[in-house]
Amino acid sequence: MTSTTPTLVAAAAALNASKIYGKDDSEVRALDDVTVDFTEGQFTAIMGPSGSGKSTLMHCLAGLDTLSSGKVFVDGTDLSGLNDRELTVLRREQVGFIFQAYNLIPTLTALENITLPLDLGGVEVDQTWLNEVVSAVKLESRLTHRPSELSGGQQQRVAVARALASRPKIIFADEPTGNLDSRSGAEILSFMRHAVSDLGQTIVMVTHDPVAAAYADRVVFLADGKVVDEITSPTSEQVLDRMKKLGS
Amino acid sequence: MTSPVIRLTLRGVLARKFRILLTVFAIVSGVAFVSGAFMLTDSVKTAINSLFQELRGDIALEVRTPIAFGDEARAKRDPVPDALASGIKAVAGVSSVELNITRESTIVKPDGKPLKTSGPAFGISWVGQNGLDGRTILAGREARGPNEVAIDKASAKRAGYVMGDTVTVVGPTGKGEFKLVGLTGTGKTSGGGGASVCAFDPVTADSFLGAKGLADSIYIGLEKGASRSTVQKDIAKVLTSKYEVIPGEQSAKETAGAINDIIDIFGKLLLGFAAISLFVSAFLIFNTFAIIISQRLRELALLRAIGASSLQIRLMILGEALIIGIVATGFGILGGVGVSKGITALFNATGAAFPSATITISTRTIIASLLVGIGVTVTAAMVPALRTSNIPPVAAMRPEMGFTAMQRGKRLVAGAATLLAGIALLCIGLFVQPGGAIGILGASGLGAILLFLGVASLSTSFAAPVSAVISRILPFPIWPMTRSVAGRLASRNAQRTPRRTATTASALMIGLALVSTVAVIAASVQKSFKDRLQGSVTADYYVTSDGFQGLPPAFAEKLAALPELGKVSPFRASTAQINGESKQIGAVNVDMGDIVNVKLTSGSFASLAKGQILVHRDPARDLSLTVGSSVTITWQNGTTSKLIVGGIYSDSSIAGNWLVSLNVLAQASTAPPVDFFIGAKIAPGINIDVARAAVDKVAEEFPSAQVQDQAEFQKSREDQLNQLLIIVYCLLVFAIGIAVLGIANTMALSVYERTREFGLLRAVGMSKRHLKRSVRWEAIIVSVFGATLGVTVGVPLGVAVSIALPKSFVNGIQIPITTIVFVLLASIVVGIIAAIGPARRAAKLDVLEAISAI
Repeated sequence: MTSTTPTLVAAAAALNASKIYGKDDSEVRALDDVTVDFTEGQFTAIMGPSGSGKSTLMHCLAGLDTLSSGKVFVDGTDLSGLNDRELTVLRREQVGFIFQAYNLIPTLTALENITLPLDLGGVEVDQTWLNEVVSAVKLESRLTHRPSELSGGQQQRVAVARALASRPKIIFADEPTGNLDSRSGAEILSFMRHAVSDLGQTIVMVTHDPVAAAYADRVVFLADGKVVDEITSPTSEQVLDRMKKLGS
Repeated sequence: MTSPVIRLTLRGVLARKFRILLTVFAIVSGVAFVSGAFMLTDSVKTAINSLFQELRGDIALEVRTPIAFGDEARAKRDPVPDALASGIKAVAGVSSVELNITRESTIVKPDGKPLKTSGPAFGISWVGQNGLDGRTILAGREARGPNEVAIDKASAKRAGYVMGDTVTVVGPTGKGEFKLVGLTGTGKTSGGGGASVCAFDPVTADSFLGAKGLADSIYIGLEKGASRSTVQKDIAKVLTSKYEVIPGEQSAKETAGAINDIIDIFGKLLLGFAAISLFVSAFLIFNTFAIIISQRLRELALLRAIGASSLQIRLMILGEALIIGIVATGFGILGGVGVSKGITALFNATGAAFPSATITISTRTIIASLLVGIGVTVTAAMVPALRTSNIPPVAAMRPEMGFTAMQRGKRLVAGAATLLAGIALLCIGLFVQPGGAIGILGASGLGAILLFLGVASLSTSFAAPVSAVISRILPFPIWPMTRSVAGRLASRNAQRTPRRTATTASALMIGLALVSTVAVIAASVQKSFKDRLQGSVTADYYVTSDGFQGLPPAFAEKLAALPELGKVSPFRASTAQINGESKQIGAVNVDMGDIVNVKLTSGSFASLAKGQILVHRDPARDLSLTVGSSVTITWQNGTTSKLIVGGIYSDSSIAGNWLVSLNVLAQASTAPPVDFFIGAKIAPGINIDVARAAVDKVAEEFPSAQVQDQAEFQKSREDQLNQLLIIVYCLLVFAIGIAVLGIANTMALSVYERTREFGLLRAVGMSKRHLKRSVRWEAIIVSVFGATLGVTVGVPLGVAVSIALPKSFVNGIQIPITTIVFVLLASIVVGIIAAIGPARRAAKLDVLEAISAI
């Protein structure tokens, strides 16, 4: 188990986080007093059955959604104290995103999509870093293509590159391989693994695929809005085993 | 490196080229009318100014009688005695003096028919080879002696006369035959700007044109090197104060100015129309942007999620509006050239003589077009753009968490408040009438806009129930569309998104509201006009002139001499001042009392013979005049008459507001009078055909005369009104065209939005035909909804405006049921037309692709 007080030096953390939808009878506790932290330089997977609150936790951690009570921190900053403008800057500079689908702006080329967060912030692109990222995801030959001209796997690679390009404190990935065939999925996961091991990136990934979770350093299990378990250095068999227990 | 916002904006526009093209088209037409209005007025004015400048030629100075007040260009001035010429000629520096005698003279073609002209038909006095006034001899020589004439080359060609022919000319004193000795031109052209010109030597002109030793004015040419201002002062010294000496270009400027005023009115009409079409376009743009934004919800949310600020998103949307605005303005200005040329051509085809002009595009035109085109587009996109701030970034992953729409309660309050404010302003504008014309137009115009906005906003609340009703009663009560699956789907779709249904319908609502407003006003005006004419047109014959200068008095005299006719009276008019305000004073002889029924409420018509004045009850009330009170009239030549009110009447449709005898009117000017129309009664016991034949025979001598019996006269007056109304209707139909475009656009967007749904329907077995039908039904529901709203708003609006119009213009409201039913039925057609493209698109969807679309 993790320590009950999250270390403020963690890349991201939630403290007594609760998220309640609806009122009275129709009240749904998507998150119920969750306390968890995500160490820098680690690849963490969040798992749980449908409706366990794993996506909500991630959205709140990333500043995309707000909590009903409790606090979330990114790089030691309490997000509840930030206004829309500050949240925007945080998302642009400290956080990277990889979604399950619809990751890219259809009218921009792959390269333009990769540098978009930097461009939006008016930040000069670090060309050396960009080259490194692009070659890490093997996109050199596809940079001028529009998303519609790329395969699903390639599109996700662009999304990974975009998340890496601004060197965020932490990257949140929401079922990044959910829409991909297993080969492309494995490719994306190895890129993410590589980003953590070799480039020192911090990644938090929501997934329901035990194989994907096996790429992580640590797996946190959620059920009914609560953290119920965790494993470090998992194998897919271990994960599957835990999932079965949660499901029963 | 370009900013990402600019890049996203440009790519966004390029990705939606077709959609945006439709939007652009709506704005283009509005801008085209704005720029066209300016271009038309600018170029026609320039052409008219230069034409009149050219006509001035070498006239350095002009002597004429001054007027006491009023419009310099249209004033009927006292003439100048020919005798003054010799005194002026003697002044040092004067090289030549010419008498300006210009009277109506019609050329009769060899076949005996009068030569029709689009401008005035002039007879003038001409001295020497080339006149001071810019007219030149192009062939032959000037007319000398009583049997010769020179006519303008263009008219000679049209009439088929060649040099040496005998030309018949009808002038103020009657018919004359002259030998054609010369062809004239004006400046570099062979015509007279649509006018025909018959030039006589001064003696012949004096007698044939009935000038009787008096000229309209005297033209003066200067010796080389003479100072104009010195000569002007010297001439003033030899003249009494009864005359004025003015620079030669002054009266040209006055005349051109008077014509320019008419052109300006025309320009304002076009601008008014542009305003309507832009207002409708603004709704269309608002609509398009609102839909485009909800379609791009995920994209915009994604941008927000990866760090775009809400300001950047707003700028991106407004940037797209800006690009649309700029492109549309560019096309709009091109369209304006077309509008301006088209209108000139249209008017010239119907007989008006707009001088041919190169299109002038001034900086003002471009600035106004840019302001209007870009302004309207960006303003209309403002609200949808601001709404993007409500997009939560999390919608990138959960599209169902999109907009939180304005709460129903809030929207009802806002809509009702806008509506009430609009009605209040409209009532103030129409009935309180603050601050003259600008106040009335401003308050009621703004009121109407608020009214429309209020209704548009409120209509969201009842779009669903009304759509349900419409789909239950359409197409006919026997077989409602809800019986078929396609119809039911269409009905549910219209009800499911009341907001979209309402905004789509709003553009048509405004268009049809305007149409029904105008229809009610027009019907009321028409009915009042007809009723009044029926009551007052009691003459058996009306003779009017289709020329520019009215009828010579000789005509009325000849008619009066006919034994077949009973009472005959001419109608003349002159401008005068009463209580410091310009009024039109009519003059008739006492017989008119039996020819035209002015509906006397007190006094007698016979009092005219005693030199008294008859007054319409409206001005009588305003000035508190009753029978026996006195009125002081100042005529334009400065003389005054103090007249006793001899009667009050209530029908001004034919006689106007003030009536005096012909003798009294003679004080207004010593210039030869012209008659506006002549009224006549058949003598008792005379057969109608015999009388008509006698009148027609006299009319043959006066080519510009038009004889009409009661029915013909009434019809011709009604036709004039109808022509005007048709123009107004045409313009409004155009506004509806834009609304159709709006519905088509929105339907296309909503088809796109429902790609997946359509795919699903096709997958479970719906045929292409059914799908098409469903889309078409929905468009019909939306347009019938819009049309119903439009008529509901427009008819009361039309009634309100009709009530507010002066009683002398509208008395009694008429609601044109047929027109309104037609409008409602036409809206069904509008729906079908608007659905053509979108339905085809929906049917073309590939089932598999549609299902997997996100």
